[in-house]
Amino acid sequence: MASSTAAALSGSPSFFREKVLLGMGWGEYLRSLLTPWNAVAAVILVVGLPLLAYRFAAGLGATTALTQAYPWGIWIGFDMMTGIVLAAGGFTIGASVQLLGLKDYHGIERSAILTAFLGYLMAVFGLLADLGRPWNIVQAMFNYGSASPLFEVAWCVMCYTTVLLLEFTVPFFEWLGWRRLHAILKKMLIALTVLSVIFSTMHQAALGSLFLLAPTKLHPLWYSPFIFIFFFISAIMAGISMAIIESTISHRVFARQLAGKHVDVDGLVVGLGKAGAVVAFAYFFIKLQGVIDGHAWAHLATGWGALFLLETVGLVLVPSLLFAYGARNKNPQAVKIAAVMTVCGIILNRLNVSVIAFNWTNPIRYVPSWMEVWVSITLVTLGVVAFRWIVNRMPIIREDSAFPQGH
Amino acid sequence: MTSDFLSIYPAKLMEYGLGVTYLLLFIPMWRYVQGGRRQSAEQAIRGRRDAERWPAVAVAAPWPSLGWFQVPAGVALHPGHTWARVEADGTVAVGVDDFAQRLVSPTRIELPRAGALVSQGESAVALGDGTWSVPLVSPVNGTVVAVNRAVADDPSLLKDAYGTGWLFKVKAPRLEADQRQLLHAQAARHFLDGEAEALAMRASPEVGQVLQDGGQPVDGLARALAGDAGWEALAREFFHTEKGTP
Repeated sequence: MASSTAAALSGSPSFFREKVLLGMGWGEYLRSLLTPWNAVAAVILVVGLPLLAYRFAAGLGATTALTQAYPWGIWIGFDMMTGIVLAAGGFTIGASVQLLGLKDYHGIERSAILTAFLGYLMAVFGLLADLGRPWNIVQAMFNYGSASPLFEVAWCVMCYTTVLLLEFTVPFFEWLGWRRLHAILKKMLIALTVLSVIFSTMHQAALGSLFLLAPTKLHPLWYSPFIFIFFFISAIMAGISMAIIESTISHRVFARQLAGKHVDVDGLVVGLGKAGAVVAFAYFFIKLQGVIDGHAWAHLATGWGALFLLETVGLVLVPSLLFAYGARNKNPQAVKIAAVMTVCGIILNRLNVSVIAFNWTNPIRYVPSWMEVWVSITLVTLGVVAFRWIVNRMPIIREDSAFPQGH
Repeated sequence: MTSDFLSIYPAKLMEYGLGVTYLLLFIPMWRYVQGGRRQSAEQAIRGRRDAERWPAVAVAAPWPSLGWFQVPAGVALHPGHTWARVEADGTVAVGVDDFAQRLVSPTRIELPRAGALVSQGESAVALGDGTWSVPLVSPVNGTVVAVNRAVADDPSLLKDAYGTGWLFKVKAPRLEADQRQLLHAQAARHFLDGEAEALAMRASPEVGQVLQDGGQPVDGLARALAGDAGWEALAREFFHTEKGTP
């Protein structure tokens, strides 16, 4: 079966036309791409991709506002730190379905895994752009700095991206019609989910552990010896919130694929809201514990304190109560608003920790160059475009009729 | 003032205090999220949906269908050709649909034991003859509370597939979730029409279903189409219980 499909892939035009061009001819397919959103994406990519090339040709100094005092900018703070935490839906939903047996969430599992996979790929691209000598990244694999958080992050991100790739091959092989490989990967799915939980736990936390090296550089309101726990718990919160946002958007945008099938997205959203309420509530108190432990009360009355309160009260405690309200009253709209607020809070947290409140005593502030911002937007756009390309072709949201048990 | 907070003991006291405060606040938070009113709200939703999807009149006139196979109102179908119906006592009656009983026309019926757990989409009963038997899946999750011994003793009762031919009753704790996977009313009828068409294509691939003059498929159709040796595989295909599937 596999070999015949492979032959079809390389030889027959009908496979390409059906599976890649969605059954259209070239002319018709290209015309179908002429939409306003595609135009926006095209403008971003047309400028952004050459900028990326320019960064590799001319170096970091020519493209970024980074200095010796500020070696980490938004490519680390946003692309890497935020990209990784927002991709936590993959292991959160995967573990809920495969390990905790919450089969109701099966319908959003594949899209959560795909979001995670693309999120990690984009984060890795962002990281490569940020490294002064990206080709040296292989050194991280062979220099066993087992006491280094960065070593742990490097290995875990590499392993977890591989696990996500393998998880993604289940719908991918359904798309290609490779039954034998598909059956093998399907059987491996539980083992892969276990691995994904292990690797995620390790590196989501280890990204926080990185800051244990810089207790004096990070503002006391954000620095804590328990920062790795903050990072891990906020990753679960991010995973839940992203699953809510992503499944809501996907099931609206790709509603056509679900014609005739009733998927109770609102029911799932309310269920996730319950989990979001409890996790965010706990996270808020753990953050407060960090303030007490760091003797940082006095800083709450400063401008930094206002930023901290915006992050922890405005974008953690308030959404936690909103999640609770939505879950109790079966109000999916409230849960969705809470999810958006939570995601904003987590983005703000990661930016605060790695960029804004980092080097807080330094009189010269870092402001990203327009090229850094544009490249970050380009990576997000690439992820969204890739997500849509894949969902339009592969059985991510819909079921493949040839694999009725597959979903 | 801040120097007080730099002292380790007040800080420790506050840490423990915050820990206890969190645990105390978590209790009302948890109760609120789980919802005191939730039970009644859920029951109300369930009751409303039940009324829409599972009409109180359990056995009503069949839907006017152009197809060969019938499904009465109030009965929800699983794509594996089993049905579920909420009974007056709150349990869910389960059976095989008109299509399944005519396809196999069994001489032997295997039923689960009372007290057994059945899972939606997993084998729960089997229809067969002296040689073969074909499993069918349960349409809902739950615990078997009653088994129709009469139909096991006299498989001809199955001809009234939605009445005397019920197979077992379950207590279904997750009915709300289960029923999302089932086909109701119009969708169930379209499904059976589609299956009839697929079956007709097996019988005469070139012309399909052509019995508009009132002809009906014979009982034990699978055996008539695929012979004694092949009927089991054919039936399994329609019941989604092919060998090798989990």
